[in-house]
Amino acid sequence: MAHILVIDDEFQIRQLVTRMLETDGHMVTTASNGAEGLRLFQQERPDLIITDLIMPELEGLEVINRIKKNNDNVPILAMSGGGHHCRRDVILHVSELFGAKAVLPKPFTRSELMQAIVVALS
Amino acid sequence: MPGLHVTTEQRYSTLLQQVIFAPNLNAREEFLAEAFELGRGALSQDAIPPDELVAIHHNAILCFSQKNPDMKLCDVVDLLTLPLIEMSMAYGMSFREQLEKQYRALLDKRLQESHRLEAVGTLAAGIAHEFNNLLCSIIGFSELAFEGLSDEEPAKESIQQVLVASLRARDLVSTMLQLARKNSGLPSEEIDLISEINSVIKLVDVREKKLEINFSSGVPNAFITAKPGQIQQIILNLCINAADAMEHCGTIDINIESTTSDECLTGVGESAICITISDQGTGIPPEVQEQIFNPFFTTKEPGKGTGLGLSVVHRMVEDLGGRILVESRTTGGNNGTDFRIILPFVDKDKRGTSCQKKCSLYKAHNHGG
Ligand SMILES: Nc1ncnc2c1ncn2[C@@H]1O[C@H](COP(=O)(O)OP(=O)(O)OP(=O)(O)O)[C@@H](O)[C@H]1O
Ligand SMILES: [Mg+2]
Repeated sequence: MAHILVIDDEFQIRQLVTRMLETDGHMVTTASNGAEGLRLFQQERPDLIITDLIMPELEGLEVINRIKKNNDNVPILAMSGGGHHCRRDVILHVSELFGAKAVLPKPFTRSELMQAIVVALS
Repeated sequence: MPGLHVTTEQRYSTLLQQVIFAPNLNAREEFLAEAFELGRGALSQDAIPPDELVAIHHNAILCFSQKNPDMKLCDVVDLLTLPLIEMSMAYGMSFREQLEKQYRALLDKRLQESHRLEAVGTLAAGIAHEFNNLLCSIIGFSELAFEGLSDEEPAKESIQQVLVASLRARDLVSTMLQLARKNSGLPSEEIDLISEINSVIKLVDVREKKLEINFSSGVPNAFITAKPGQIQQIILNLCINAADAMEHCGTIDINIESTTSDECLTGVGESAICITISDQGTGIPPEVQEQIFNPFFTTKEPGKGTGLGLSVVHRMVEDLGGRILVESRTTGGNNGTDFRIILPFVDKDKRGTSCQKKCSLYKAHNHGG
């Protein structure tokens, strides 16, 4: 089973994803913003990063950008419910261009999350 | 030679498509050069009349911008007009002017549309974003709860109901977003101002938490002819401006009344309806008032306003056969702005039948589902 870093500014979403992943036997670390996420990534070297895209402090896109610029090939799964100024499908597409391996529109069901993880880890 | 005529046109428009979908910059340059050559030859031999050449570009731009909604419009226009501009250098002034006019009109139309999307879409997307996050928790946690319960538990069925309902809500949110995106090409229909205004107030309420909107109507119903979404966009733009002028804190008054005043009716017709939107904001100084309807005129910081809101409102009100009046006070404790929109009423007899139609449709729908 994998070690997964989950980055989302919403506490409920972090809790939800953690519960879903742990039920499936994964090991989970969480971060509530991009900066904390990057720090934990360096420290713990997880097998997969699941990140929200629109967050205060440091945006998910920037997280992906910095990791990929560093030539780190950790797979990244980007999730988003869209934002005030950008459409969900657009920002998810952009995250793929930045280097996310899989995307997941919010809201998602448990099986959609699991499928996206399979794609990201493949 | 109509046969040749068609093929040259077709070849030309194919070249334009190749320009856009070119796999790399080199290929793109080649297609552009080829389009220029073909176009110049065709023009000098009168194989394609200038008008039609413009029409081909017009269609190409529309087609590509529809297919690539995320590509910047000015980039599409720039790219596709390049061969035309080069060609037109060689031709008369009048052709060039005609070109400019057509592109200006096209550009205006797209800008108007993108602004409409911005106004309605920003609010809809803002709500959708919050809904999506809430729904994510509702769906996810009810799934987890569902799986955690044994089949004998009576709560299991209840949770399944929650799950089904939240999945339906998810569909609803995405339908709402789609609607916000495309409602421009729809035909006009009879629309009840009161329910349109109420729906905008709901949208604004969610975003502007410190703002109060008072809505009163002096008439029981007010039908006008408009395209779906048009009224919402007008009211929305005016409400956003009012909210900005009051720094998002205060009261907006919206009132509708039938009007017979001469000042209002000039050019509108015998019976009209007047919508007044008043705020207690900063007010608009007289020298600014002259310019507020100009496209791109804004007093807001970069990034806060494009200056298109009122120009779009103005054009829409004109399209509807109506008028818009401004009254503003910048001094004293009485400062604020009133925007009045006067629109022609729908004919009384016609109104009756359309309402009946709507009612029976509604019934049929309810029985069905
Ligand atoms: N209710 C109001 N009170 C005070 N000033 C106003 C009001 N409505 C409009 N204005 C003035 O008119 C200008 C033009 O308004 P308009 O809606 O066209 O553009 P904008 O609000 O600046 O930008 P946009 O609507 O494109 O986001 C505003 O910048 C503002 O100075
Ligand atoms: Mg405005």
